[in-house]
Amino acid sequence: MNDWSLEVCDLTKVFRIYHGRHKSLKSLVTDLFRRKYEDIYGLCGVSLQVPHGQTIAIIGRNGSGKSTLLRILGRVYRPTSGIVKVNGRVSALLDLGAGFHPELTGIENIYLNAAILGLRTKEIAKRVDDIVAFAEIEKFIDAPLRTYSAGMVMRLGFAVAVQVDPDILLVDEVLAVGDLAFQEKCYDKIEEFQRLGKTIIFVTHDMDAVRRVASRSIWLTEGHIRQDGEADSVAKAYLKFVEQIESEEN
Amino acid sequence: MLTELKELIAYRDLIVQLVVRDLKVRYKNSVLGFFWSLLNPLVQVATITIVIKFVMRQDIPNYSAYVLAAFLPWMCFQMSVLDASDSISKHQDLVKKVYFPREVLPISLVLSNLIHLVLAYGVFFVYLVTIPRAPIYVTSLFLPVLMLIQLFLNLGVAFFVSCMNVFYEDTKYIVNVLLNVLFYLTPVMYLSEHVYRILPINNREMLFTIYQLNPLNALAIAYRKVLLHPFSGAGIVDIPLSWPLLGVAAGISILLAFFGYRFFNKRKWIFAEML
Repeated sequence: MNDWSLEVCDLTKVFRIYHGRHKSLKSLVTDLFRRKYEDIYGLCGVSLQVPHGQTIAIIGRNGSGKSTLLRILGRVYRPTSGIVKVNGRVSALLDLGAGFHPELTGIENIYLNAAILGLRTKEIAKRVDDIVAFAEIEKFIDAPLRTYSAGMVMRLGFAVAVQVDPDILLVDEVLAVGDLAFQEKCYDKIEEFQRLGKTIIFVTHDMDAVRRVASRSIWLTEGHIRQDGEADSVAKAYLKFVEQIESEEN
Repeated sequence: MLTELKELIAYRDLIVQLVVRDLKVRYKNSVLGFFWSLLNPLVQVATITIVIKFVMRQDIPNYSAYVLAAFLPWMCFQMSVLDASDSISKHQDLVKKVYFPREVLPISLVLSNLIHLVLAYGVFFVYLVTIPRAPIYVTSLFLPVLMLIQLFLNLGVAFFVSCMNVFYEDTKYIVNVLLNVLFYLTPVMYLSEHVYRILPINNREMLFTIYQLNPLNALAIAYRKVLLHPFSGAGIVDIPLSWPLLGVAAGISILLAFFGYRFFNKRKWIFAEML
């Protein structure tokens, strides 16, 4: 077994922003000899090492690179430069209910969503009862998804995602949605993952969540790591910083 | 390429799920269901037949059968390419948030259109024995082979088009126009024998060979030859199917699929940033 669950070295992500109102063949021809893009640094030399079983909260203001980092770890984006080493199966909870279709029934959507998350049909069949029970939608499982309430759809999405059984779980502000009961359920599941020794990395704006589940916190500003340390102290420093900025603005 | 193919195979269940979703969703709330997709070609072929018979006054026996035999695979090609063209942008929520081999999106649409073609040929055979009362030939057993060639052709074009459309949204519209032109260039409403007749006599054989290098032409010819009686009437002499030329067209289709897949793979991990 490798020392680190996840190792990131000097990670940089550059986004090429194309100017012009429409990206089309016409603008391609007319802009042929003009420089028509600008490079924006989403992440700039980020390095971190995550031991097995650690829970890390990533915090920072909008546009600081939190989601970009999570998407690179979840292999949705390719880094421009730098190295990402992952030891284990990654499940990225960036979006609940990916691929859900309103006309399909709950059960059909479970199979589709789980397949998108990389599960084999056989694996899904074994877990389908657990998923339905966890989402508490037994009665509606054969009804089309469009008849579900927003809360039911969310519960179903979460129920499928946690069944992927990852070694490393990436969570993007999923905990911010849903009612209190649902949030409690999510926390329970996360604590269960922690007991099982899984690595969790989550993005959040909720400092209570940071204090509650994370042991370490990373504060990002403009694509750099501003502070990396014990969850409580980083959260405190971040809150102080946000208050300061807000008072300056007023 | 090999690692990508391996990963694609690991995700084969996702392709199955997407095909099932596509077929289920398409006809979920309609009473006639699958028959809607057949009604369209049937009405079009009936119209074409009536025009040829009564307006152009070409009395060719069972002409509708000859049109239909080539029209069904043409529809499959057209729908595969059109569906694939915006398959990535339609699923941008997925592409931007979940890791999976992106090629499953165009592939699943091509496959679901191929399944439609199989069903449509099922209806074609019923039509064949009831209305023109034509026999079903043993050579019809080659149908799966032709469909396999068509699968490669459809996949190849779908890879190029779906990838290009992410970068230039005009692709979809250009493809639409090109498909309209191609429809008249491909022997669907007319026969390849009609084309042969107008080729200049001194270079006829060579030009007709070149004509059949286009897999769309070769397939339209082949579908007719294996399914139907050699054509006769209206002063047209039937030209038998050239198997070697069909083989060449198959090779071209496979190459197209290969290069299309390579083209797609080189760019597929930028999609999430482009959408």
